[in-house]
Amino acid sequence: MVTLVKRAVAECIGTLFLVYFGAGAAVITLMIASGEKTSTPFNVGIGALGGLGDWIAIGLAFGITIAAVIYGLGRVSGAHINPAVSIALWATKRFPTGDMVYYVFAQIIGASLGSLLFAASVGMDAVTIGGLGATTPFPGISYLQAIGVEFIGTFLLMTAIMGAAVDRNATPGFAGIVIGLTVAGIITTLGNISGASLNPARTFGPYLGDLLLGGSNLWGFFPIYVIGPVLGAVCAALFYDWVSKEE
Amino acid sequence: MNTVSTVKRYEVAGMKCYVCAKAGKDTEAVGICIVCGMGLCMEHAIREDTQVWEGGYPFPATKTKGKIPRILCEECRTALKR
Ligand SMILES: [Zn+2]
Ligand SMILES: [Zn+2]
Repeated sequence: MVTLVKRAVAECIGTLFLVYFGAGAAVITLMIASGEKTSTPFNVGIGALGGLGDWIAIGLAFGITIAAVIYGLGRVSGAHINPAVSIALWATKRFPTGDMVYYVFAQIIGASLGSLLFAASVGMDAVTIGGLGATTPFPGISYLQAIGVEFIGTFLLMTAIMGAAVDRNATPGFAGIVIGLTVAGIITTLGNISGASLNPARTFGPYLGDLLLGGSNLWGFFPIYVIGPVLGAVCAALFYDWVSKEE
Repeated sequence: MNTVSTVKRYEVAGMKCYVCAKAGKDTEAVGICIVCGMGLCMEHAIREDTQVWEGGYPFPATKTKGKIPRILCEECRTALKR
């Protein structure tokens, strides 16, 4: 195993890519749809041009990046690139406390760098029009509903990770593609409800970027994207251990 | 099916060293190259310890505590070293 510092760097870079390409896709969608007249208040622009296809595109941008990071850095750090995943592996005694804390910090730093780098790549429209792809509950969705949706989405994501990767009997080699596609599918359905973050770092990066670059202050929504994903991932890991254990 | 495996086992038991056979010598094999499958005598068999990594996503890959020994012929060892 490589040193903790190198593994933390891998987590940082992996999460940077996740936010740059994934949240970046949401930014570009909003910029392309900018000025379009939407039919309902529920449609904030993502979906104005391609309906649910807009969300599939964003979902795939996330999913393909996740697959690339898992295949690229999975053997180095484990490629969690999500504090909810690191915490769930830690909570089920699969991952040491010290490593988990390092990983979470590295993921948050990477996500922030990813957002800032995307803003630098695109310009201020990425902040003012695209909000750096920050997640917020959509019009008509309550705080509690958003937490519930993030919980359910991350529960499915973590169940896929447990079955396709953590389980000793998992078929080797498929985890990256399966987990990438799982995230793409989850975002397709949940994107227009809670933003489908499934990942506290993925929301932290754009929130910090928006704050630093003069965009909206969205921090009031941040607990949604910590409570939902972390509880969802931990419950899924515990659920998998219970449901897969032979008596 | 049964016959085939019986024959194979017999052949392996009576295997000669391929390197020696090429040089016109008739030497009993003591091992088989794990890569190309040639029989090898004590002189031509190379027994090497190989470091093995295990695990991977979502955990960092780790080296196994012990090394795993394997028998190779000279050609395959050279090819693998590159
Ligand atoms: Zn020989
Ligand atoms: Zn050989």
